[in-house]
Amino acid sequence: MRGFLTNPMIIKELRERFRTGKTAWILGSYLFVMGAILFGVIYVETANKIYFRPGESRQIFILLTVIQLGMIGFIAPALTAGTISGERERQTLNVLLTTHLTPFAIVSSKMLTSLLFISLVVISSLPLYSFVFLYGGISPEQLIKIFWFFAVNIIFFGSVGVFCSARFRRTGVSTIISYGLTFLIGVGTALLTIFLWQFFEMMEWKTFDSALFPFMFSINPGFVLAEIIGEKVAPSSMTYIMEPWILFSIFYLGLSVFLLGWATRVLDPLRKRRLG
Amino acid sequence: MIETQGLTKRYGKLEALKELNLKIEQGKVFGFIGPNGAGKSTTMMILSTLLRPSSGKAYVGGFDVEKNPREVRQLIGYMPDFFGVYDNLKAVEYLDFYCGAYQIPDRKRRALIADLLELVNLSVKADSYVDSLSRGMKQRLGLARCLVHDPKVLILDEPASGLDPRARIEMREILIELRSMGKTIIISSHILPELAELCDDIGVIENGKLIAYGSVGDMTVGVRGISIMQLKVLDQVEEAEKVLSDCPFVRRVDNKNRYFRFQFTGSDADKAALLTKLLGEGIPVVSFSEAKENLEDVFLAITEGVGS
Repeated sequence: MRGFLTNPMIIKELRERFRTGKTAWILGSYLFVMGAILFGVIYVETANKIYFRPGESRQIFILLTVIQLGMIGFIAPALTAGTISGERERQTLNVLLTTHLTPFAIVSSKMLTSLLFISLVVISSLPLYSFVFLYGGISPEQLIKIFWFFAVNIIFFGSVGVFCSARFRRTGVSTIISYGLTFLIGVGTALLTIFLWQFFEMMEWKTFDSALFPFMFSINPGFVLAEIIGEKVAPSSMTYIMEPWILFSIFYLGLSVFLLGWATRVLDPLRKRRLG
Repeated sequence: MIETQGLTKRYGKLEALKELNLKIEQGKVFGFIGPNGAGKSTTMMILSTLLRPSSGKAYVGGFDVEKNPREVRQLIGYMPDFFGVYDNLKAVEYLDFYCGAYQIPDRKRRALIADLLELVNLSVKADSYVDSLSRGMKQRLGLARCLVHDPKVLILDEPASGLDPRARIEMREILIELRSMGKTIIISSHILPELAELCDDIGVIENGKLIAYGSVGDMTVGVRGISIMQLKVLDQVEEAEKVLSDCPFVRRVDNKNRYFRFQFTGSDADKAALLTKLLGEGIPVVSFSEAKENLEDVFLAITEGVGS
């Protein structure tokens, strides 16, 4: 903890990030949008009724969760895709690299401060979930799983942004590629899974015996989210090797470590480059 | 303190630096002269552990820049030709950040930052946002940043570039102060007279190749058989210019109204013949003498024909 509090990069990043009005605007806008959706739905659902069923509370929970996941996919790359390329564009990166800050310290500090902010955004939306709890329909275990799932998504999409930021010189390019990869993970894996499923069925191959499909279903954020909230998306006959959210966490946290390691390597000015 | 042996850097087919051999003693100020793209910044980036050479070796304080980058970074303070600052930080916070980056203990920072701001004449701007500082002030703050860990070597790439004359003079005074503190300084500039006052040794680099290297005193155009002459006439400026341009020993005539400055490659007898010719043409010569050469003359004389 002391190391965290004395890390100059983290202190600087937090100072810079929280000193500007932009931060308050992002946080305020996020809560406003989420709150407006929640209250809008409650208003519409209860406008001409004198009762409110817990089942409807669950639908609100699902709606909030899906929007939150979409927001994470939207905000995480935006906040991280300029972290290192921004230093490069500002012409401050070379000076940083001549200090005792290692490329790993720079990458991890940038990642950590971005994650702190995104986490603040997500945690600040917790009171909105209390409305759902007020009416019941959701277990505390599900809520914990959901927030763990969000944390994994934040770390992974943040790592994608930081990696692109280190790999590409321009923030514009880095942001576009980050969003492209986010889309690929969010939508591409789902389409690929459905396509492969249909293809296996068409060829009359045994889909249920294959280890491919439990894996494919477990790496798509949408499918995993559906599993956590108890909405069956995968065929009921399919058996998972382990719970999808666990496989999802292992896979994407592992990928995050790989991407951050790669970003660190890219940032090292004295790394050996391949010739030609 | 600084040594390079056959230092070469290639970017694909382009050779940015060719077999550079340098030796800079401790406490000396070395001036790097050369046009843009000559290889000055590449050399400085290699010495600052920011670039891996294609071949050759570079040492700072006896440490190999490739094998011991951490030790080298402790010894150097690097200021690039263009650098940004963190606009949302105050001057003290900016320096505090770099103190942290060099792992300077908290208890020492306050006094250190005050001393550095004093050195670069920015004490009154300590609590100002970096964004609000002028370019000259930012440049001085950048220099203070280089000094937070008390480096023995300063690598300054065009520190006066883009500064107005007043800011340039202030920067030069700070550098003279740093020289008196015993720092080894390697500095590049294309404003040559600035280096003449400041440097002990000069290296002239063009197209990646060091074409001249020695002490400022030894660097004279005379070694190339060239002298710098000056001529002042009362009138008939055009006729005087024609006589000069017709003379085979005259090069690079600089005509400032009635005052000419030019390189002369001939002997004393040739100079006498030129003066006789001028007088013979009826040109009213006010003065005809050897001029005090400056670093620009040296640079032009040395780089004559290189790269063409």
